[in-house]
Amino acid sequence: MSTAAASIRPAALTVLRGAAAIVLMGLAWEAIVLLFSVNPYYLPRLSVILTSITTVPDAYIAGFMRTLSETLLGFTFGVVVGVFNGVMFHRSRLLKELIFPIFIISQTIPVIAFGAVVVLWFGNTILAKALIAFYLTFFPVTVNTLNGLEAVDPRQVDLLRSFGASRMKLLFQLQLPAALPQIFVALRLACTLSLLGAIAGEWFGDTVGLGVLLLQAMYNENVVALWATILVSGLLGTSFYGLVAWAEHKIVFWKAEL
Amino acid sequence: MNLRSLIPSRATRRAALGLFGLVALWELAARGLELPAYVLPSVSSILQAIADQRVMLFAAARITLMEAVFGFFLGTLVGVALAVVLTMVPSIRKLALPTATALNSVPVVAYAPLILLWFGIGPESKIVMVSLAVGFTVFLHALAGLDRVDQRAIDLMRSFGADRAAILWRLRIPAAIPLTAAGMRVSTVRAMIVAIVTEMLGATGGLGWTIYQAVLQIDFVQVWSAIFVASAASLIFFSIVNTLEKRYVFWK
Repeated sequence: MSTAAASIRPAALTVLRGAAAIVLMGLAWEAIVLLFSVNPYYLPRLSVILTSITTVPDAYIAGFMRTLSETLLGFTFGVVVGVFNGVMFHRSRLLKELIFPIFIISQTIPVIAFGAVVVLWFGNTILAKALIAFYLTFFPVTVNTLNGLEAVDPRQVDLLRSFGASRMKLLFQLQLPAALPQIFVALRLACTLSLLGAIAGEWFGDTVGLGVLLLQAMYNENVVALWATILVSGLLGTSFYGLVAWAEHKIVFWKAEL
Repeated sequence: MNLRSLIPSRATRRAALGLFGLVALWELAARGLELPAYVLPSVSSILQAIADQRVMLFAAARITLMEAVFGFFLGTLVGVALAVVLTMVPSIRKLALPTATALNSVPVVAYAPLILLWFGIGPESKIVMVSLAVGFTVFLHALAGLDRVDQRAIDLMRSFGADRAAILWRLRIPAAIPLTAAGMRVSTVRAMIVAIVTEMLGATGGLGWTIYQAVLQIDFVQVWSAIFVASAASLIFFSIVNTLEKRYVFWK
């Protein structure tokens, strides 16, 4: 019990320090705008932005939830497919050499250009946005899973095999756990990318979502609403990232020893 | 060695085979199932459209590439400079690093509307967006690289009387270059994508603008041909940076 408490304390301290940094930054923002009387067209006061969120929070909450669900859907999908691809490519050199170059080329295609096509294919549904988020996330997860699997000590594989471990057992008991630190690096990258995909995906004529709010604010030249949406996106991005980092800390607890 | 490198390796042959298979499958599906152009135009019709409109597409690609390359260098410069300053002056680091992390937690495309309002719909806003996206990546890579030196090596240099600048110049920067170069390599494709994404929100020219116009006119062959050109341009940009990296960062 005491070890658990000891591991919570530094984590709580990190969170506290982060919160303190955020509060400080907020104060600095407010002070800089007031002191140098910055043109609100460029940078409105933080308090003005926060007030605009709290006075009509409905649109931001709805947008947050919508974008969150698109992001999570695309992220989950991308992680599952990415890990699966990584395992397949690790198993079969032929598959890897045939398909992997196509994946690389696929990543040079501007997502949002693809967005127009995807929205056409799937209609203006949540699925279309999730697919764009997926498109951005599966590749880094594939690459890191593959790298992680290839870095597994072959002597350990031989040892387990000599005890008669099946391929499945080998995969789930040794290879995937050994690749987890690498996979988590990709997951942290993927949570940023999936959010990016979801927001850009919404630019093709959706009605709800943070991306929509951004566009509306831009067309109305409403800088306060623009900053408000940026802050909400940042909140979404940070909490998602924090959650993944926390999961990494809990699941890959042995990483510190490496 | 030289002769062997001329013969494509098995991996290259298989890559070509895979790509060829994909194109064949695409062409067959588009023609065999008689898919309408807005679902999936055939590769041959896309290539035909590229050939027909090569002047226009080439001009658009040039604009986008200019924005991407300018932004790329500007972002790299700012990212590296910031990383060096932060390594030299640790007191700034405590303040600047959380700020950078907070700014970075917002997906970069979310800044696009704001940057467009600030810098207008000309190429400037795209260059700023690209340098923002590239700058963060390069900054984080450079910072990690500058930190990656052996403490014992620093202690050794210090014992010989080296000051901070000497340690930076002779130890930290050479150690940081491989990682920084890797960050630059990753950023090439991102630079192109960000330039195109920003163009789609408002521009006077470029591939993103071409795509946006084509979507409005429901001309999906045009959308695909612009996508093809963008992808080819990204690959060329990537391979140039990749080749330069391989040639000059030999000590990796």
